[in-house]
Amino acid sequence: MSEIKITIDGIECVAQTGETILDIAKKNGIYIPTLCHDESVAKYGACGLCLVEGEGLPKLMRACSTFPADGWVLHTDSDRVLRARKVALELLMSDHDGDCKGPCSLNCPAGTDCMAYVNQIAKGNYHEAVKIIKEKFPFPASIGHVCPHPCEDACRRQYVEASISIAYLKRFAGLKDLEKDTWKPEVAPETGKKVAIIGGGPAGMTAAYFLRTYGHQVTVYDAMPNMGGMLRYGIPEYRLPKKVVDREVKEIEDLGVELKNNVKIGKDISLDEIRKAADATILAIGCWVSTKVGCPGEEAEGVLGGIDFLRQNILGTPYDIAGKNVAIVGGGNTAMDACRSAVRLGAENVYVIYRRTRNEMPADDEEIEEAIEEGVQFKFLTNPAEILSENGHVTEIKLQVMELGEPDASGRRSPVPVEGKFETLKVDNVIAAIGQKVNPEGVDVELTNRGVIAADENTFRTNLEDVFAVGDAIKTGDRIAIAAIGTANKAADVVDSYLKGELVPYRKPFYSERDLETVKAELAQKEKQARVKVPKRPAEERKKDFNDIVIELSEEEVQKEAARCLECGCHDFHDCTLIECANCMEICPSRLKGEIHPGFVETKLITIERNQNKCVLCNLCVRTCDEVAKKGILGLVGRGFTTVIKPEFNDPKTIEGCKDCHKCFDICPTGALKLLQ
Amino acid sequence: MRIVVGEGSCGIAAGAGKVYDALKALITPDDSFSLEITGCIGMCFLEPIVDIYEGEDLLTRLVHVEAKDAEKIVDAVKAGDLEAIESLKIKDDDASFLTQQTRIALRNCGIIDPTDIKSYKAKDGYKALEKVLKTMTPEEVIEEIKTSGLAGRGGAGFPTWFKWNAARGSKGEEKYLICNADEGDPGAFMDRAVIESDPHNLIEGMLIAAYAIGAKEAIVYVRAEYPLAIVRLENAIAQATEEGLIGDHIMGTDFSCKFRYMAGAGAFVCGEETALIESLEGKRGMPRLKPPFPAAAGYRLKPSNINNVETFANVAWIINNGGEAFAAMGTEGSKGTKVFALTGKVKRGGLVEIPMGQTLRHVIFDIGGGIRNEKKIKAVQMGGPSGGCIPENLLDTVIDYKALSATGAIMGSGGMVVMDENTCMVGMARFFLDFTSKESCGKCVHCRIGTKRMLEILTRIVNGEGEEGDIELLEELCNAIKDGALCGLGQTAPNPVLTTIRYFRDEYEAHIKEKKCPAKECVELLSYHIDPEKCKGCTMCAKKCPVQAISGEVKNPHEIDQNVCIKCGQCYTLCKFGAISVE
Repeated sequence: MSEIKITIDGIECVAQTGETILDIAKKNGIYIPTLCHDESVAKYGACGLCLVEGEGLPKLMRACSTFPADGWVLHTDSDRVLRARKVALELLMSDHDGDCKGPCSLNCPAGTDCMAYVNQIAKGNYHEAVKIIKEKFPFPASIGHVCPHPCEDACRRQYVEASISIAYLKRFAGLKDLEKDTWKPEVAPETGKKVAIIGGGPAGMTAAYFLRTYGHQVTVYDAMPNMGGMLRYGIPEYRLPKKVVDREVKEIEDLGVELKNNVKIGKDISLDEIRKAADATILAIGCWVSTKVGCPGEEAEGVLGGIDFLRQNILGTPYDIAGKNVAIVGGGNTAMDACRSAVRLGAENVYVIYRRTRNEMPADDEEIEEAIEEGVQFKFLTNPAEILSENGHVTEIKLQVMELGEPDASGRRSPVPVEGKFETLKVDNVIAAIGQKVNPEGVDVELTNRGVIAADENTFRTNLEDVFAVGDAIKTGDRIAIAAIGTANKAADVVDSYLKGELVPYRKPFYSERDLETVKAELAQKEKQARVKVPKRPAEERKKDFNDIVIELSEEEVQKEAARCLECGCHDFHDCTLIECANCMEICPSRLKGEIHPGFVETKLITIERNQNKCVLCNLCVRTCDEVAKKGILGLVGRGFTTVIKPEFNDPKTIEGCKDCHKCFDICPTGALKLLQ
Repeated sequence: MRIVVGEGSCGIAAGAGKVYDALKALITPDDSFSLEITGCIGMCFLEPIVDIYEGEDLLTRLVHVEAKDAEKIVDAVKAGDLEAIESLKIKDDDASFLTQQTRIALRNCGIIDPTDIKSYKAKDGYKALEKVLKTMTPEEVIEEIKTSGLAGRGGAGFPTWFKWNAARGSKGEEKYLICNADEGDPGAFMDRAVIESDPHNLIEGMLIAAYAIGAKEAIVYVRAEYPLAIVRLENAIAQATEEGLIGDHIMGTDFSCKFRYMAGAGAFVCGEETALIESLEGKRGMPRLKPPFPAAAGYRLKPSNINNVETFANVAWIINNGGEAFAAMGTEGSKGTKVFALTGKVKRGGLVEIPMGQTLRHVIFDIGGGIRNEKKIKAVQMGGPSGGCIPENLLDTVIDYKALSATGAIMGSGGMVVMDENTCMVGMARFFLDFTSKESCGKCVHCRIGTKRMLEILTRIVNGEGEEGDIELLEELCNAIKDGALCGLGQTAPNPVLTTIRYFRDEYEAHIKEKKCPAKECVELLSYHIDPEKCKGCTMCAKKCPVQAISGEVKNPHEIDQNVCIKCGQCYTLCKFGAISVE
């Protein structure tokens, strides 16, 4: 052994002869990805991820097995290395038949690990479930009440019979957790950095929550008397009791977040003043201006904005519509909230004016159904043509009759007017629930041409270096709470990195996903188990008050429902070296899509399930079984692309001897091996 | 006189065994002439071949001999009237196939009886071994090989002396000398010919090498698909052992060396030296990481030296004639001769041994006689799945390791496949990728999945489903696989694709953009049409069409239903009136 000096990525490293490049890099804190290498077994060199380039050396070298000579100058990130590594990762992933995460999680804009918390709920571990949810946002109970649950839309159980009732399970766990021993996150030591957040809605409070747990001092400013934003002021009490929002806001406040209500930016305090007092500022101002109907006569008295109508109601100063005829324009969830609130306020006739048919309505189907039960009258295929008034007050609404034309770019059939065909409704009020806009007053930052705050997609930064923006105020698509939250939890990490001195933009992680058609075919064989029906109070009863309409399920029912989960995601996701490597650079395996190696799932090892679909042929299990366990039970079978690993099983005693070893399971870098309980 | 039947594998395949039996049945012990066999003469295109010798002088060479000719031959020999069999005699033009060659590795092939050690000894056999054992030190042997400039003939062209010297220099008493006879390239059969035709030459070369490196055991790893070579090698080992040329105290000296062979496991990758060692050890044939190189830790982790059959076949000649005589042939960087297996669309295919430095054009046109059916040459493929295609305009490239590498192809082990204008270069690349992907051992990601993906892309291109960007994607994969694959097989697997893209990019583009195969070879991209002006309505095509895609009244123009047509091309070859065209 003698001392050598080499350079890796510009870092001078002193090493001993006999050490590999990988050993030396590791000692010097330089990351080189590897999948097939482990110190407990002989060098193998299959994965090709650890390739490095040496100046003046013709071939790329495998760091795991190359012993450098004195004076070598090596690069782990040269173009040539990255190209070879990228292709290796893309090849591996193109042939990896497994799901990293459940489709529920992938379809959640906030990236919530639905499968994980549903599994905890199935075991009755509600605090544990909340902990998992709170890795992504701090409103499990509130969101559980109101979320239009994109998770359920993606749930694969629908290909058996029906999706898991994920949103309700979250609501249940969230409420249970709030009852007692509420789970609390740890707060990192104070960093001394200050963050100001403008807007205390779901996005602003989510950003506040994470930045506080990272140890920053956070102040949230909000124009309204209480925090919660649209969760509080945009959603009626019967869907989300405000005491639930209060409790969850309180949890955040208890972490040490300073809450300042009744502060209007630009009026009570200027953005510049806030910026001066903070190291970073986050705009989470939402969309609080109702979009107008856009037809003649809409200036008349009695024409209201949907969210304004809802807000006044929640503030305790509702519009007086008892005994009146009310038309709500729009087909989204706000329209449903408005029409059902109108019913509860005692309106005589409540109409929903929607220019397409029920099938195209963006509102939840369940909401529509419940609204119908409560007596709401739907005027499909109509569109306001004119609002007529007398003495300045609305008297009638003239509706253009529509029909569905050709599908548009989004695939929805667009409504076209039936020439000359109109109908009129006698109404006292028209509530416009067709959309909202950002009110940029007082926040002097650049807007996009669509009127939202211009923030970078991956850094959330506005045109001002220290000002970031999140939530509905930067979104033009689906403005739902969970999507607003999804921008905030990502932005929190970006802002944290900015406060620590180096801004790291958000990068969408790569996840392995199975081919849906293959999965569907597999699931067709599955035994059916009906989805639980969450009972609601009878329509006649519930339409008379603003109390919660849901009747809670029993714990037993909840756990049974959670146990329906198919557990699509990988058990090994958090320990998977493959996915860690796959995310060490940006890759696009779909361009190398092709046939997948022959896979199978078997349990010949008795206590270990072997999923050959996920195997990457690193051969670590085989080598460990040979070299460490000294059993030699596993071996490679076949050649080339069709190579698989299979156990040798002529002697039953051998299998018995293998039962308690598990060394192959311990060393597998992917989720190909699973320990059976 | 001696009647000698060429009984290499190709001769036997062409019917030499039957010819031999027919001759034997006619000959009695009283006859003044003998019937013998020899190995591969190297002129596949003329098999079966029967030579008539007087002593060592070749009197005449009879070609395309059939069993029914036996009587005529025997009669002619008996009568001493060889003019009676003039019609069977090789044409002068064809004879030039051999006269233009310089044979060193193949010097005894097709001349001696490979089953008889005496026949080999009569050609100075084992003299080199005797010289080495009795008059030279191992260092002097290595020096002589160094002088010769002999380089590894298996493909890589690494200097032989250097490997021997490294193995000699490695510490340890237990060393191994291994011969790689796992010749797996499609279209290559040089090594098979040497073992079948001159096995003692191989044994002698190996024993000299074993002496030079200090090995106590020599092993031939021969592919199991060469049964005749195995039989003849086994026989030769037995004879040499009996004569004291193998075993303890060879020729009464202190040098002892065991000798054995092992039949391979039928995997192409076992031609890679470290995979070969794994296989030899009884393990799955997968390449090892290098270093350590076999010279330091090879078979049983002991110092080992591995050379290819052809390399060893030159050794005895070099010792007998001197390294300088060998080095006098060839170019600055490539010395001696090289054996090629000339195949494909060439008129005269077979084994060609020529000094380095001659041009490809010389080999293909002067020795090989040019292209069959007077078609145009398009390219020549060298080096098999690890090699590449050299286009017509580069045929003046000389045979030299460096010059060939510069074209993107390689010298390789000697496969030389000639392609004419009707060969689709994308299809050709696809053929090789199909081979390499199936023969990948499955160990490293770049080769296992990379060659599979390349094959998939090439398949969609030849099926008319190629997409814009596929060429660039192929190039990217090629470069990454060259850099990332673990062993030489994976690293060179992209070569057929890279060279065809380099020289025939327009063919790739035609497949992808116009959905046309310029060589009219890719079935999915072809369509057959009947010209109503030319069609006489003879109904021949309709009768022969295997899927009844052709219809029409007698004496009226016929039509092909494109939805039914399977593009087998039978109608096209059948039509006497040239009425059927292919697009």
